[in-house]
Amino acid sequence: MKNKNWVNLFIAILLYIPMGFLQVNIDYRRKLEDLEARLLLMPGQVAGSLVLGGFRGVAADLLWLNIEDLWHHGHTHKLLPLFESVAWLQPRYITVWAVGGWHMAYNIYATLEDEKEKKYWYEQGVSFLKKGIAYNPEQYDLYFELGWTYYNKGEDYSNAVKYLEKAVKFPAPDYVKSLLAHAYENNEQVDEAVQQWTKVLDTGFKPIAQRALISLKTDGAFTPKRRTRLGLDKET
Amino acid sequence: MGKVWVIASNTFREALRKKTLYILLVVALVAIGTSRFFSFLAAQDELKMIKDVSFATIEFFGAILAIFTAIGAVSGEIEKKTIYTLLSKPITRRNFILGKFVGQSLIILLNAVLISLFFIGLLISKKAVPDIEIYKSLLLIYVELLMIGSITLAVATFATDAFNIIFSFFLFIVGNLTVYFKQLVDRTENIVFKGLGEMVRTVIPNYENFNIRDQVVVGVSVSWKYIGQTTLYGLIYITIAVLIGIYFFQKREV
Amino acid sequence: MPLLKVTDLSKVFYLGRNRKVVALNKVNFEVEDGEIFGILGPNGSGKTTCLKLLLGILFPTEGEIDIMGKSQFDVEAKEKIGFLPENPYYYEYLTGAEVLSFYGRLFGMSKGLIKDRTEYLLKLVNLQDTGKLSLRHYSKGMLERIGLASSLINDPKILILDEPTTGLDPIGCKETRDLLIKLKEAGKTILLSSHFLSEVERVCSRIAIFHRGNLLTTGVLADLLNQYQAENLEDLFVKTIETFDSAAEKEKSETAAVQ
Repeated sequence: MKNKNWVNLFIAILLYIPMGFLQVNIDYRRKLEDLEARLLLMPGQVAGSLVLGGFRGVAADLLWLNIEDLWHHGHTHKLLPLFESVAWLQPRYITVWAVGGWHMAYNIYATLEDEKEKKYWYEQGVSFLKKGIAYNPEQYDLYFELGWTYYNKGEDYSNAVKYLEKAVKFPAPDYVKSLLAHAYENNEQVDEAVQQWTKVLDTGFKPIAQRALISLKTDGAFTPKRRTRLGLDKET
Repeated sequence: MGKVWVIASNTFREALRKKTLYILLVVALVAIGTSRFFSFLAAQDELKMIKDVSFATIEFFGAILAIFTAIGAVSGEIEKKTIYTLLSKPITRRNFILGKFVGQSLIILLNAVLISLFFIGLLISKKAVPDIEIYKSLLLIYVELLMIGSITLAVATFATDAFNIIFSFFLFIVGNLTVYFKQLVDRTENIVFKGLGEMVRTVIPNYENFNIRDQVVVGVSVSWKYIGQTTLYGLIYITIAVLIGIYFFQKREV
Repeated sequence: MPLLKVTDLSKVFYLGRNRKVVALNKVNFEVEDGEIFGILGPNGSGKTTCLKLLLGILFPTEGEIDIMGKSQFDVEAKEKIGFLPENPYYYEYLTGAEVLSFYGRLFGMSKGLIKDRTEYLLKLVNLQDTGKLSLRHYSKGMLERIGLASSLINDPKILILDEPTTGLDPIGCKETRDLLIKLKEAGKTILLSSHFLSEVERVCSRIAIFHRGNLLTTGVLADLLNQYQAENLEDLFVKTIETFDSAAEKEKSETAAVQ
């Protein structure tokens, strides 16, 4: 019974060889499928103590609760590092990017008086969304958020078109498609606008598309210039 | 095999009649239950939070149970000296270790599955029927827990309980942070450190492999190939741990 | 052909650097079929170490053990052995019947056989009325009795008992003794260790006296009494131990003188 015992140890050590190869494969797949965690560089104390492999998600959630809290108490300036932290912990968590960008470009923006500061936070929001897109390039969500921010807040229609065009390449809700048509009009791309509205005819936005197509034929695109001429200013 | 099963079922029954299982179970359910209090959040955020908390709870409390069950399985038997009677019976020491492993694995799985059912029930009650990705993540956590138990079992055959508890928790933490270790090793220029680092990383249990939940909670899909590879990794590691356990137990004088 | 044969059996425990304890020193003895063999000795004389070696719980430093032609590690040898450890330790969350059934299953016995044996043995040790009482609530005497019953579950050829009457009251002791004699009559071979001389005197056909890891003497009690010109077992016990100790003392002073 005792004499053959070394066989157990021998097989155990031998098994490390296939396991080592398997680990190389697993490392490769983790990179490929974007399962790898980021380097340990962590702002914030709560999270710092919780960044133990299995608790990344919980840490992100606690920070998220912190954000809600700070927001409701008006400490808007403390929000930025927290958004960065949550996004660092779970970069595939789209809501963080979307809500973070929205907070910066809209909510913080709205609390400020100084035009320079307003511009600064608008740009922060835009760059935050762009970072989010880099981590989540295969979904429409953040392209749409960024497109909308350009369209609605920045009135930067060429960039809005650029990102909304990317958004509609992925499965997306109907309002994304109709927003792109609006963006084309605002960017004075009449042909593209007609094409896009025609596509929108197949969706729930059919009545709006029909009206838009008629108005395009009779009056031309609904551009900012025309809006100013008609004395219709964009609602804020 | 029959005798392995006899020992396994006795180990299972012993753990069932101890309080540890129920205390851990209740605490874990309370932990998951509290994630419901975040219902002031948007529905999507609340669901994510329930998932994050639940996965972490199943892993953490599962690990505690795995470590203490494995220690009870071997050291408990030695401490209470029931081992004398047991080893005088016609069973081999290999039977003993295999039986203990099977028995503790059943308890670990029972605990993890019960918490999981509660978690899934909670999701369904929130009208969010869990998708296949949730089950993939749960499966990997189960494999991880069996691995933790098998390592503690192996260590229990030659080390004291105090050492074993500290060592097992240390491995649990280190094994979950292997990615940082890898990133350090990758950045080293020194060949000796690199080689040594790679070796250490192969030897320590890579629990990080089983962590796909940061992706799963936000709806990113993970391939079956990855699930297969990591499950195989876990099974090989468990085999190694059990063989080492058998090796040391054969040599052990109780 | 003896049922059990121990040849030059030694066990040395190493306790850290340069510290070792010789628990058993070149011990030789045989146990014949159908006898009650008593291992006698003060506490710490190596009795329990010897029994643990016989059961493969400890590994010998030197020497051989032969149990019906098999090694002590052989599963086949263990199938024919029943063992009751000193102060029996059991799974306290089980009931008496569950303990017996657990050990029965380890012997690969069938369900029906286990049921029959359990019923028979519980009656034999007078525990048939304990029902669903778990071992946690057993008295010391009851534990000793369930221990004896579980060592008999496989109807063993050889029964090894380590201090079977420790902690029992006089009635319990007598019951155990009567049971041992009954078992002997049923053809069992019994190897028992004890430091109760009177108990050994009453039941054992042959004895072995252990002291400080050495087997001082072994043989049929009457022969030994003659050989050492002792009045009774107690006298014999004291004489052999004193002879050994004075010889050891002498040797020690001689080696000291040489140095």
